[in-house]
Formats: sequence, structure tokens, C-alpha cells
Amino acid sequence: MIPSLIVLGVFFVLVILPVILIFNGLVAKRNQVEYAFSSIDTMLKKRIDLIPNLVATVKQYMDHESEVLTEVTKLRSQIITGGMSDDDKIKVENKLTQALSNFIVTIEKYPDLKANQNFNQLQRTLNETEEQISASRRSYNASVMDFNNGIEMFPSSIIAAFANMRKKEMFEIPETERRNVDVSELFDK
Amino acid sequence: MKTKKEFHSFYHEELRPHLDSHEETRIAFVKKRNKVILILTIIELPAMLFILLVLNNFYFMLISLLVTIAIGYFILGHDHKNFKNAYKRQVISKIVRFVEPGLNYRPTAYITRDEYYDSQLYLKNYDRYSGEDLVEGIYGKTRLKFSELKTEYKTTSTDSEGNTRTSWHTIFDGLFFMADFNKNFSSRVVVLPDTAQKLFGFLGQKLQSWNFSRDELIKLENAEFEESFVVYGNDQIEARYILSPVLMEKIVALKKSVGTDISISFINSRINIAIPLNRDLFEPQTNIPVNTFSAVQEFFDDLIDFVEIVDDLQLNTRIWTKE
Repeated sequence: MIPSLIVLGVFFVLVILPVILIFNGLVAKRNQVEYAFSSIDTMLKKRIDLIPNLVATVKQYMDHESEVLTEVTKLRSQIITGGMSDDDKIKVENKLTQALSNFIVTIEKYPDLKANQNFNQLQRTLNETEEQISASRRSYNASVMDFNNGIEMFPSSIIAAFANMRKKEMFEIPETERRNVDVSELFDK
Repeated sequence: MKTKKEFHSFYHEELRPHLDSHEETRIAFVKKRNKVILILTIIELPAMLFILLVLNNFYFMLISLLVTIAIGYFILGHDHKNFKNAYKRQVISKIVRFVEPGLNYRPTAYITRDEYYDSQLYLKNYDRYSGEDLVEGIYGKTRLKFSELKTEYKTTSTDSEGNTRTSWHTIFDGLFFMADFNKNFSSRVVVLPDTAQKLFGFLGQKLQSWNFSRDELIKLENAEFEESFVVYGNDQIEARYILSPVLMEKIVALKKSVGTDISISFINSRINIAIPLNRDLFEPQTNIPVNTFSAVQEFFDDLIDFVEIVDDLQLNTRIWTKE
């Protein structure tokens, strides 16, 4: 009786326990990925919330060049209507990033607007939000890498295969986010 | 920022008259020092011979030598300190204001214990805390502050004969730099020199994640940065918001330009940088003339290097909500 208990104990310590630990580690990593993904959403939501204010401030200054504004507004309503797949949503959000940066470039032509305190503040908030979105994407990619390492590296790869865990895709960071921010382009120093 | 050429004309127009008077003090000090050394040698040498040959006591001779040296220090120490302090008060503070009018210099002040503690760069408890040469003020839009700082801890050991020996070990010795960071944040990030990963690769990274005295390990995507540093923080996303791809590149460049293992932390909306140095900053020499251009140029170069950290890390770039 006692020897078989010892064998059972050794089996538990050497086989079952590591399996449990590794499995839990993988689950924690997967949850980290999901958490990171939802943070991107939070940051994107923040940007969406900024747009109505931005549009309202800018409208009084630029009637003629409203294409850029229309584009931004259109994309925003597309996003808040929802009903898109994750992939589509990412595409639309990337379009919005592009539209907003075009919009900022257009503003260069309006010195009055640049001098507007309210607009200035909004632009700062927008810059901040863009940087936070980029940070959360990088954070997501880091947790995906961590998870993928766990799935592909021995011995956790065996357990991942049994638990049917699949490799996750990383985010493409848009080129506009990767390049350095040129300050003189945005503000008079 | 001021150029070397501008400093050259500042030296001729403003500094030179002051430096000449400090040079007189220095020459007077050196004369007095030589005289004191001569007199003490004349007294001490025969005394040592007498103790050694007549009394035949080696230890007593050593003690008399040490006492004489102590007397020499006692006589000269005060003069040296006066010379040094007057020089710092007048010359160094002029150079500081020349480099950047928004800055002030206080020769005997230094980064406070609270500031050092809050930076969380060094967690080891210290037994001795000292520093000098505090520069503080505003450069552009950034409030900054730096000084020399040295922290040490002691260990005591007792040998078999019951003698206790105390030895001092340095925790940090160098320049401690603090500045207002250009983004708002509420979490904390500590960037330390990487040792484990360099030695053990992937396993080293595993070890780093088990550092219980620090927050979570933050893995970043800039390979060169990851090679030199290990990052801990309590918010994965905000850490990346602070350490943007651009800032990581700038930090790597800063590390290269200083040439030592720097540590950085981002806490309470501030950036703290600890740069270990093995030389004493802003000290006038007594053995060479102090009124030459080369004698003051070193102080100017050092100051420019430290203040320019603000530019190097683009801390005056205020395009986010923090103004």
C-alpha cells in the first residue's frame, strides 16, 4: 500500500505538477494577450471620443476644405456603428490614423486655427492618444510573442498542442506610427 | 545652448579678472603648503630617527609620522577649503549662469535623500550619503536638477583575534540627474543595466522576470535597447507609452556617449538618471594654474554635457497634454 502511494506521489510531483504549472502559465499568457487586445480597444475608443470635439472646433475655420473632415467623420461613424469583424475594424482604424494625420497636415495652412487655445489642447490630446494606441499595440505584440514562445518552445509546446492552443498573429504597426514625430512640423517651437 | 567659441569670449571678457585673483590665492596656498611641508619634515625626520634608533620603537615612530601628517592637514585643510569654496561660488556659478541663465548653482547642496529614495534606482540601504555641486533650474520648458552623489554601505567583520574591521562599499558614485518628464504618467518604470541577459540569453531573461524586489519585467522590441537594459514597471502599456521607440533609441545613444552603465527611472512624472563617474566634478586644481582657458573649459564641457541630456532625450518636446 505505502510503496504504491510513494509511486503515486513521485508521479504527481514529476509529471502531473509540471503539466499543471505549464498549462496554467500558458493560460495566463493567453489571458494577457486578450487583456492587451482589449486595452487597444480602450485607447481607440478614446480617440473616437475626441473626434466630435475636434470637428466642432475646426469647422468654424475651414468650410472649404471639408473633405478631410468628412473623411474623418465618416470613418468615425463607421466604427461606432460596429458590426465589423476584428480584421475590418483594424483596417478602418488604420484608415482613421491616416485620415487624422492628413487632417493635421492640412491645418498647417490655417494660422488662426493653430493659434486657437482650444484646438491646441485637442491636438495635444490627440498626439497623446495616438502614442498610447501605439504603446498598447506594442504591448499586445509583446504579449503575443510571449504566448507564441510558450506554444512553440519545448516542453510547453506539447501541452499547448494537447490544449489546442494556436499561434496568434502580431499587429502590423503602421508606418506613420513608426516614424519619428517631427515637432517643428506640428508646432512652432 | 552656448558654443565653445562663445565661451571663449566669455572667458576673456568676464571670467579672466576673477580667475586672476583666484590664481593669486592658489599661488599663496601652494607657497604656504610647501613651507608647512618643509618645516614639518625638518622637525619630524630627526624625531623619527631618534625614536627608531634610540628608543627602538617602530610603532611609536609610525604614530609620530601619522600625527605629523594630521597636523599638516589641519593647518592646510582650512585654506584649501576656502580656496575651493570661493572658486566654486564665484567661478563655477558664473559658468552655470552663462551656460543657461535659468540655472542656479549651489556648491554644497545635493540631491536630497528623499529624491534618491523615491527614484527607486538603488534599493540597497545606505549607511553614508554625501554629495555636492547642485545645479538646478529651468532649461527651455523643462525643470531639471543634478548633483554629484555618493552612497555607501558598510560591512563589519570580526577576525579570530576579536578585532572588528569595518569596510565601506560604494552603491552609487557619480552624477544624479533629475528632470521633469514631458509626458503625463501615473505608473513607474525602472530601466537598469542588463547583466543577466547578456550572460545567459533567454534563460537570463527568465531569471530577470523572477526579480521579486522589482515590478513586472517589460520586454521591449528594440533589440539594441534590450541588450543593454532590463526594464521593470507596474503597467505594461504605460511603460511603452513612456519608452516610445524614439526614446529608446535616444537612451541607447546617451549610454554610448557617456560610456558607462546608466540607470534610469520614470516616477512621479519625473525622469531620474544615475550616471556613475570616476572623477570629481567642478573641482579647481591646486597644482596647475586656474586662470588658463583649459582649466575652465573642462567645467564648461561637463555642464553642457549634463544640461544637454534634456535635448538628447527631447524633454523640451511638449506636443502632449503636459505643457
